[in-house]
Amino acid sequence: MRRNILIVVMLLFSLILPGTVFYFLSWGGIKPDLLLLFTIYMALHHRMLPGALWGLGAGILADFYLGRHFGMYALTLTMVALLTVWLSQRWYRENFFLIALLVFLVTFVGEGVIALLNIVVGARWAFDDALRLVLGVSVYNAVLVPITYPWIHRSFTRGWLKYRPKYER
Amino acid sequence: MRKRVNATGIMVLVFFLVLGVLVSIRLTGLGSQFPNPIGGVLQRVHSPVQNVILNAGNSFKENTRVFWNFDEVRRENEELKATVEQLTGDNLKLKEQVLAGLRYNELDQQMFNSPNIDKYSKIGASIINRNPTAWYQTLNINRGSKDGVAVNDPVIVALGLVGKIVSVTPTTSEVLLITDSEGQVSASVRGSTGSPTFGIVEGTYKRTTRLEVEGNLQMLLRRDDNVNVGDLVLTSGMGGVYPKDIPVGKVEQIQLDGSGLLKTAYISPFVDFDSLEEVYIVRKTGGQ
Repeated sequence: MRRNILIVVMLLFSLILPGTVFYFLSWGGIKPDLLLLFTIYMALHHRMLPGALWGLGAGILADFYLGRHFGMYALTLTMVALLTVWLSQRWYRENFFLIALLVFLVTFVGEGVIALLNIVVGARWAFDDALRLVLGVSVYNAVLVPITYPWIHRSFTRGWLKYRPKYER
Repeated sequence: MRKRVNATGIMVLVFFLVLGVLVSIRLTGLGSQFPNPIGGVLQRVHSPVQNVILNAGNSFKENTRVFWNFDEVRRENEELKATVEQLTGDNLKLKEQVLAGLRYNELDQQMFNSPNIDKYSKIGASIINRNPTAWYQTLNINRGSKDGVAVNDPVIVALGLVGKIVSVTPTTSEVLLITDSEGQVSASVRGSTGSPTFGIVEGTYKRTTRLEVEGNLQMLLRRDDNVNVGDLVLTSGMGGVYPKDIPVGKVEQIQLDGSGLLKTAYISPFVDFDSLEEVYIVRKTGGQ
């Protein structure tokens, strides 16, 4: 229970920080997508179904918070979680470089889906700008990996966020 | 015995789920005003925390700016000195023009003296958060429906137009900035001759990029329209959202279209959107 509450609090902070702290640390208008980053971290430390469910939950929270295009983040973050679990089952080693690469790739796909959905529903984005944003956010998320991943990983393996599948309890 | 999975059934289910989500995304777009009580509660819970973080960040940024950007501050100081000298000269000229009866003094008079704005009541608000994604240029303010804020209320500051309210919770509201390409403004360009040219101002990503909050605005005009660099752009009052004569910006550059039939005026906004902390909401409903 404590673990779930902590995850929800972290999800809420992932929504607050990009518009506040990272507004001052934005790079040419580009801010990291912390919610997507945290979803990737959760998926890296869960099995397929719980990982996807946390992705869906995080997405629904973001959709309610943003108050528009309901379903966009729910769909995207579920896909992001599934892709992360799929990739991590193939080349997840406890290696920061690989994790940063994984975060870059998955963020690129996730932001790409958001860009595509935005354009499909009528946002007037030029291809160059959308690509710049998708690439920028992917790089920013990957850059945050060495700073954030060690303590998140420690917490997921030994700390408050430790995940124990039912059969291990 | 393990239950057999029907792959076609799953594909059909996934297809309809994705289709349903796509329809939902389309129906709940910007300005759709679908009821979102959970979002309202989330915003209400978040707003005190966001306010504290944003204020602390603003204060830190302002107080340490000279250390981060010494060259920029020095250059800005020199530019400001030059601007003050130029403005002093311009001010004298403007006063002469006002005395001569020319109607080219909206900026000098400050917009709040405008009778078009004075007839509405205004609510002061602080910015509590910017859009957490980079896809839209919006910001959240600490006034909501409890304070009488409604969707489509214009948002202004002393220098000019900021944007309009696109969603409201009881205690917070979301403002779509005019620099977002979704935030079109019906405007008129007014030169020193006083005759207005009407058009639509919208955010542009062509010259700089729409990712930059200070990004330019653009206005499409006919080739024959009498618009010059330096002309003022004001709201036209048409379209029903913005009252008339709120300053939007100044024409910075004019480019002819490839076809030769149209031209684009690039407008630099008067408002520095990057350093906004307080705004005014113009109450159009019940505030008249």
